[in-house]
Amino acid sequence: MTDEHHLSHPSPAQYVKIAVGLAVLTAIEVALFYINNALGLGWINTAALLTLAFFKFFVVVGWYMHIRYEKAAVSRFFIFGFVLAFSLYGVVLIGLGVLAATR
Amino acid sequence: MTTTTARTTTIFRRPRSETGFWSWITTVDHKKIGIMYGYTAFIFFVIGGVEALLLRIHLASAESTFLTAADYNGLFTTHAVTMIFLVVMPMSAAFMNYLLPLMIGARDVAFPRLNALSYWVFLFGGIFLYSGLIFSSVVPPLGVTPGVTGNLDPSDARSFFGLPDGGWFMYQPNAGPAFSPGRALDFAVLGLQILGIASLLSSVNFIVTFFNLRAKGMRLLRVPVFIWMTLVVAFLLLFSLPIIAIALFMVIFDRQFGTLFFDATAGGDPILWQHLFWLFGHPEVYILILPAMGIVSEIIPVFSRKPLFGYAAVVFAGAGIAFLGFGVWAHHMFASGISTVAQVGFGLTTVAIAIPTGVKIFNWMATLWLGRIRLATPMLFALGFLTMFTIGGLSGVTHAVVPSDWQQHDTYYIVAHFHYVLFGGSILGIFGGLYYWFPKFSGRMLDERLGKIHFWLWMLGFNMTFAPMHWLGLQGMIRRTWRYDPSLEFWNRIVSVGAFIIALGLLVFMWNFYRSKRRGPLAGMDPWDARTLEWSIPNPTPVFNFAEVPVVHGLDEFWHQKYGEDKDGRPVRKDDADSTLTRLQEIGTNPPNPVHLPSPSYFPILMAAGLPLIAYGIIFHLSLFGKALIVVGALLSLAALIGWGSEPLEEAHMEPAHA
Amino acid sequence: MTAASHEVSEHHDEHESTGVENRKLAMWAFLSSEFLFFGALITNYLLYSSRTFEQGPTPAEIYDIPFTSVSSFVLLMSSLTMVLAHNALSRGDQGATRTWLLATAMLGSVFLAGQVFEFTEFITVQGMTMQTNPAASAFFVLTGFHGTHVAIGVIMLLSLFGLSKRMGGLTDKRFLNLELVGLYWHFVDIIWIVIFTVVYLLTAVPGAGG
Repeated sequence: MTDEHHLSHPSPAQYVKIAVGLAVLTAIEVALFYINNALGLGWINTAALLTLAFFKFFVVVGWYMHIRYEKAAVSRFFIFGFVLAFSLYGVVLIGLGVLAATR
Repeated sequence: MTTTTARTTTIFRRPRSETGFWSWITTVDHKKIGIMYGYTAFIFFVIGGVEALLLRIHLASAESTFLTAADYNGLFTTHAVTMIFLVVMPMSAAFMNYLLPLMIGARDVAFPRLNALSYWVFLFGGIFLYSGLIFSSVVPPLGVTPGVTGNLDPSDARSFFGLPDGGWFMYQPNAGPAFSPGRALDFAVLGLQILGIASLLSSVNFIVTFFNLRAKGMRLLRVPVFIWMTLVVAFLLLFSLPIIAIALFMVIFDRQFGTLFFDATAGGDPILWQHLFWLFGHPEVYILILPAMGIVSEIIPVFSRKPLFGYAAVVFAGAGIAFLGFGVWAHHMFASGISTVAQVGFGLTTVAIAIPTGVKIFNWMATLWLGRIRLATPMLFALGFLTMFTIGGLSGVTHAVVPSDWQQHDTYYIVAHFHYVLFGGSILGIFGGLYYWFPKFSGRMLDERLGKIHFWLWMLGFNMTFAPMHWLGLQGMIRRTWRYDPSLEFWNRIVSVGAFIIALGLLVFMWNFYRSKRRGPLAGMDPWDARTLEWSIPNPTPVFNFAEVPVVHGLDEFWHQKYGEDKDGRPVRKDDADSTLTRLQEIGTNPPNPVHLPSPSYFPILMAAGLPLIAYGIIFHLSLFGKALIVVGALLSLAALIGWGSEPLEEAHMEPAHA
Repeated sequence: MTAASHEVSEHHDEHESTGVENRKLAMWAFLSSEFLFFGALITNYLLYSSRTFEQGPTPAEIYDIPFTSVSSFVLLMSSLTMVLAHNALSRGDQGATRTWLLATAMLGSVFLAGQVFEFTEFITVQGMTMQTNPAASAFFVLTGFHGTHVAIGVIMLLSLFGLSKRMGGLTDKRFLNLELVGLYWHFVDIIWIVIFTVVYLLTAVPGAGG
């Protein structure tokens, strides 16, 4: 058939490993929060937290929701919705002066 | 699969009627659903039209006291809400429902019961919205004491209708709890929320149908343009409705549960509402016009007897309009104090969206060029669309120029513009479609002479109504006011007369429809010498659509069954074309194999009935009665959902026919 | 594009189709539109959390980060149990499927209980209701809608569990039911991943974590 079927779904053990990875990432996020509280990392904290969140997001979508193993139609759908939401609301927030505000 | 499993899992006995009242209540047939959408939307069209006439009677003189100020506000709001959400959208949905399966060679949509649910949710949403007439109340806004100098005269603040009066855009905080107290706006907000659910369900249904149910050989670039536009609109709905859903939730929470989203005194931001509203509102504009563009793209090739010029360009232009349509929302907000960069940016995207629109218009014109044009009524409406929409499109481009937009903002120039695209565009396109596909669903032809009278009455009335609004607006006549400068009275009288000519044209149509439905000449097979699959089956459409699922070999499949080409590429009718039609008629009415259709169901209407109950409950949530209504509504929908889940889609071939 | 070409595609037997089951495609379409739904809610919150109000407190001042971290962890792990239920069913192991389904529903309920606790805490102890200021309104409506999604998910999981012993169990056609509930469940989880980071960690006022 087509090449997307070469990949077989992960085994339970692999699912558990992924979950451990997600848990560790969450722990790092929380740790970063406290480090930032103490040291004031500024934009580095923001960038790091966002990167970690996106990484978790894509791991869950890719492996748990099996989008890696789905037909391209499905992933295009999903990515389109995500990108559209991200860009539209990004523009709105910029327009309302939020992203320019310092935090 | 045995008959016993089917029997034990159903709560009710499965509905069986194939004709009469119950067959319509329980139907899951996309054709019947489409027809119900059409009739319902038409009733709302008449209601919205009467509202417009009342407004125009009032505006015929500058100092009129025909309506009070409160009623004027209520009528222009409901006129807009009705025409947008209860007329143009469901009229388009009527065509989509009826034609989507027929034009892609399918027996039904992907989820027939969900389709029925969409219709019932739409109907109940519309009724709920108008039930505000009975249950609502209009209270003077905070800080306004009728009779005090500078405020309204008490008689002007009085409302006879009690309609929602915040405009269809419901700008906050004007339409919030402080400045629009009373229940009228709650009915509009919750009604729109319910209508949104209907549209969201339809959009998912149509998307899946498009991608998964096309007949063999119906590749993407063989799909008729109208169906492409259906898909594009479904995507627009899918991605814009959640935005307005949230915005409306915020308003309802503000109005009913005391949140402060748009309360400027507590730090709420009115501009946030404008962003959220127009993030939905502009894609909505394309939701309204793209189906009409699709209809016109079907009509023009048939009556020019030529393939659509640049089919792929028209399809991609439609998709391009939709995509760009998400990036122009702030051009409604040029006067709201957004930054210069935003003004320039959104001005440019607005200019850019004229490009794919222009591509379409040139493609339609090129299709007409050297065509053997037949000026039948559908074609007249399509040409009316082409000319009137172009005028509206051009005045639209003038809004992209920010300083010019500041001048036009909130004047009748804007009213002229959007009526040229919505009436001159969407409504003319839709009526063209009605004339074109009337034989498809009724098996009879509409009267051509009355059709032409209708068309010319509308052309005259439409231009008398909306053309003078251009210069009225540029002379400074402000929108949404019930009084205007007496020097503008002359043209306002012309406008009001025009509105009544439109109404007269509609009466001609209604008479034509009523008479032709009963006694019009029989259409037979293929009355228009058409090009697409829906005409390759008998008229009216048999309940099973296609006796044999077609195999598609190219664009305009049906045309190529009838026509070949001579050596210069001109179409030549094949010798066996007539026998082909006779054969299709014969097979189409007598399916060689038994056809299994989804069975009718009570559950869609029951599930939909829960929603307005919940909405009433929210409005009256302070009372025990309201709280009880929420529970009852939720339980009704839940029970229907369980029943739905436990009944199989098709039962016809499991149980023997009713003895 | 004029003459009928006879090269009918041979790849699909009956229809021109994506090859994705109807209901699954519908679920993906619905979920992709949910991005716009939650995006609007998060946008509201981000806007108002960047403003100051006369009336306090704002959510960012009173977050209980350790508590929310634990409940986020619980929801994250419910994705694991969900995917294990999916995996068990694909191996035909009905017993394990039921166990994992129930575990997922329970983790979801724990998350919901945590949210109820958090709301009660904010309202009664900290004195922040959704009428306090726009940021509080945005917070309660955002997390409330997410909680509603979780609650609907729990109901669907329990329905699957309830159905799993009737009408021939979860096999065959019902495999798709479980897969769809799974998709929905993971989606609710990824939305929370975003909310936890963007709404809680990034806007919390330093010191709020206690």
